[in-house]
Amino acid sequence: MTLSASAPATVYVLDDDADLGASVARLLVRHGHAARAFVEPVALLRDYPRDPAACIISDVMMGDMDGFTFADAVRELDPDVALVFMTAWPTTANAVDSVRRYGGLDYLEKPIDEDRLLTAVAEGVAWSNGRRLLNRRTALLTTRERQVFDMLVRGHSNKAIAGALGLSIKTIENHRAAVVTKTGTNGLAQLIALVS
Amino acid sequence: MASVPLPPADRATADIDAVDAPGEAPSLRSRSPWLPRDREWLVLAGYGVTFLALHRLAILWGGVGYYSLWFPAAGVRLALFWRFGARLAPATALTEIIVQCLTGIIVFTQPEWPRGIFGVASPVLAYGIAVAVVRRVADGATGSLATAPMPLGLASVLAPLIAVAFALPWSIVRPDITNVANVRDVIVSLTGFAVGDMLGVLLIAPPLLWIADLSSGSTAMPAMVPSRRDIAEAVIVLGLALGLVGMLASIGLGLPATPVLLAIAWIGLRFGRAAAWAAIVVTAILVLPETVGAIPVDQRLALHMSLAAVTVVGYLAGSFADAEARALAAVARRDRMLFQAERLKTLRAMSVAVIHEISQPLSTLAIEARHLVEISAHADPDIAETARLIERKTVTLSTLVRRLRRFGGRAVDEPSLLPVGALVDTVAALARPEASVAGVAIRIAPVDPEWTVLAQEIEIAQALVNLVRNAVQATDDGVVEIAVTRRDERVAIAVVNHCADHPLVHEGMGVGSLVAKAIVEAHGGTLSRADRGLLRIAHVVTLPLVGTLTGDAA
Repeated sequence: MTLSASAPATVYVLDDDADLGASVARLLVRHGHAARAFVEPVALLRDYPRDPAACIISDVMMGDMDGFTFADAVRELDPDVALVFMTAWPTTANAVDSVRRYGGLDYLEKPIDEDRLLTAVAEGVAWSNGRRLLNRRTALLTTRERQVFDMLVRGHSNKAIAGALGLSIKTIENHRAAVVTKTGTNGLAQLIALVS
Repeated sequence: MASVPLPPADRATADIDAVDAPGEAPSLRSRSPWLPRDREWLVLAGYGVTFLALHRLAILWGGVGYYSLWFPAAGVRLALFWRFGARLAPATALTEIIVQCLTGIIVFTQPEWPRGIFGVASPVLAYGIAVAVVRRVADGATGSLATAPMPLGLASVLAPLIAVAFALPWSIVRPDITNVANVRDVIVSLTGFAVGDMLGVLLIAPPLLWIADLSSGSTAMPAMVPSRRDIAEAVIVLGLALGLVGMLASIGLGLPATPVLLAIAWIGLRFGRAAAWAAIVVTAILVLPETVGAIPVDQRLALHMSLAAVTVVGYLAGSFADAEARALAAVARRDRMLFQAERLKTLRAMSVAVIHEISQPLSTLAIEARHLVEISAHADPDIAETARLIERKTVTLSTLVRRLRRFGGRAVDEPSLLPVGALVDTVAALARPEASVAGVAIRIAPVDPEWTVLAQEIEIAQALVNLVRNAVQATDDGVVEIAVTRRDERVAIAVVNHCADHPLVHEGMGVGSLVAKAIVEAHGGTLSRADRGLLRIAHVVTLPLVGTLTGDAA
């Protein structure tokens, strides 16, 4: 899994046009990503658990499985992967669905605007990396600490959290100190930065 | 509203404003509609001369208690009002009064001159009222009442009857004026008046109007042009009928109208209105001289009523045949349009498929071409130039494909945000070729570039083009104006044309208007007609305003 900012991010390109998929993958490789092209959604889903990606660029209209069905399937495997859709049959309804229902970062119209594609992939990689970092750092928190963490990053004071959870302020302060230690941060500002 | 003259665009806008503000008088109303305009003075002068000649001619069929049993001047009068509007009634009455003064019928030194003026003016005003009433009823009606030539037929019957109604009080109060002594005389007088006017109207008004329409180009020659064989058939049928009537008359059985009536009905149904009129004119030429002079009133009345019946039947039969031919032509035209629409739809679907197929390899080409430019930057200058050229062309092609998709792809199946200004420009561009042929200019008032509607571009443009085409056909000053205004959350697109006489345009079957209305309503809009007094017609399409390109719709 790609977690380091310096390591190339894994990006998959899924398109039933093998030439286009390969071309986009090569483009991404030239821009510093570890890109790989797939022609079949099934093949990508099969390989994915072994080597997850930070971002997947998927065609919408494909043979047996369309891009949106694939999106649902890959989200089941990895909710933290960024998705970017591309299509030669753009419609407003699909554009809205791709973002609102399937969590896509962008909806690209073919012929592809290269700059927009690279921007979308960069944003997707950054978003995915951020999500994974957050998950890794909050994985050690207890349930109560997670509750305190969630309320802290939403801007609640110790007193308010204590009132909401029915605990003493002293207990909340202890939980807060544990959260800061376990997430490797040094204060509230870094905690908030972790989720933003 | 300002009374100063407005430029065309502003006048169109003023028309829209007046839709919701009937109390406000548009600037164009500052001039009295009752006054003749421009060439109408010349028309009235011509009417005066014609009236004088026909009035003199009609005395040949005169009798006690009525002026004439054939009064062709009434036909010219009705044609005048039908063509130029009932608003000319006062000016026409004045013209007839002047003519009667010049001929000595009205003499101001005699004590009866006010009655003389009333006697001349009342039938003119009655005709004006009849035309105005029929026009108004027909404008608001649908079905047979509004279908040509029914409105003119109604006016032809109604005008003489209203004129008789105007004369009735005088016949009762002052029987001495028309030399009637008893109830029978009164009835004979009024019947003679009605039959004389009706015959004059039926024989003269329709052909006059037809000739006027032909000369102005608002109608075409008859749809059915009779061949020599057709003419021979018509001549034989009419000749047989007249021969039969002559034979019956020669053996003392009177002059029955039935054979001629059936013959003219046959001719009208077979060959249309023009042929029917030719047959009617032949019959009138044969009958009318026979009724000149001292023949018994009952015989003359019967003959003239028969002639009126023959005229009405022939007129209706011919009009029916013409209407049927027009309807068939309209159906054929609609079929062609449907075929074209179907073909266009297929072409659109094909273009979308082609766009898809092209965009796939083009995406690859664009990416690789750009890469080639990057890696060949320091290579041989010739290679670098070639790479740049390939990259430029792929960019051009990509842009072209995106534009094509916006036109042919997205608009096919779903509405899109559409700037109203661009929509109006498209409509004007589509309608201009036809307008140019008709010698009509299309003027567009400035449109706020930020007004946007959500619409299927091709459909809504088609609806507006239909309205503009109708306006091009109806305008009589060579200008059609398109103006857009905003009211709250709606945008109103008005198609305005000048039309002095409000002709009942019956081109085709009104399918275009129905389709336009259906399309507009499917977009959550309305289509309404907003007449601006007697001068201007505005068809207004309102559509929900989605927002502005730079505002909430962005």
